[in-house]
Amino acid sequence: MTLITILLGLCVGVLVGLLGIGGGVVLVPAMVYLLGMDQHLAQGTSLFILLPPTGLGALREYWKQGQVDWRAGILCALGILLGAYGGGLAALPIPSRHLKGWFGWFLVASAILLWRKGQLEGRARAGER
Amino acid sequence: MGNGRMGAGIGRDAGIFLVGCICGVASGLFGVGGGVLLVPLLALLFSFGQHRAQGTSLVALIPPTGALALMAYAREGFVSWRTGILLIPGVFLGGVAGGLLAKKIQPQRMRQVFAGILFALGAWQALEAWWR
Repeated sequence: MTLITILLGLCVGVLVGLLGIGGGVVLVPAMVYLLGMDQHLAQGTSLFILLPPTGLGALREYWKQGQVDWRAGILCALGILLGAYGGGLAALPIPSRHLKGWFGWFLVASAILLWRKGQLEGRARAGER
Repeated sequence: MGNGRMGAGIGRDAGIFLVGCICGVASGLFGVGGGVLLVPLLALLFSFGQHRAQGTSLVALIPPTGALALMAYAREGFVSWRTGILLIPGVFLGGVAGGLLAKKIQPQRMRQVFAGILFALGAWQALEAWWR
């Protein structure tokens, strides 16, 4: 179990660097289905994993390429800090089963947004040629 | 700071802060970092390039933005500290590898595959919760 957990962390990390995400969106379902955790417990643990700057190594690679907007990043960080507290308080009284369902819909919506972004890029690149 | 390419100014700053707040609510509600929403939103609403959106999202995830939400979860005992500690080193090391990999490949295809997996996973989880 310990080995699975460590390997899971590595796999999630590759996605973190590759896609510029925090990893929680993969960690939460992985902990629910692979490690058999309750939805609330998985979400709380995911927030704990995101506490240290795990993306720092990946950020350095982007920074070397000049692909970082610090001002926008800091503004977003402030917004997330405040919003997350409100979201956390809202999540706690929701029954685990309902929260699991809502999490599923959240994944579906994120997937559509990510897909749509990929499409726009494809079109922009075709236009450049 | 910034590159001043597109409508720099207070309006853009306010818009970005608002997007951050929205991602934050999702972050606390679902225990995620918020990057999965932040990357597409920065690109769709503020016309960031793909690598720039991803690099900027990583900046927003460096400070402990989930700290307040984590405290709320911890008060209710909803944190498995041991599992968390086991996962952290892997996420960090994997992140370096992923960052190097992202420079070498076109992440667009990769992201569409990821979006597909996310969609399937989300639909499954939503249906499962609904049925039982």
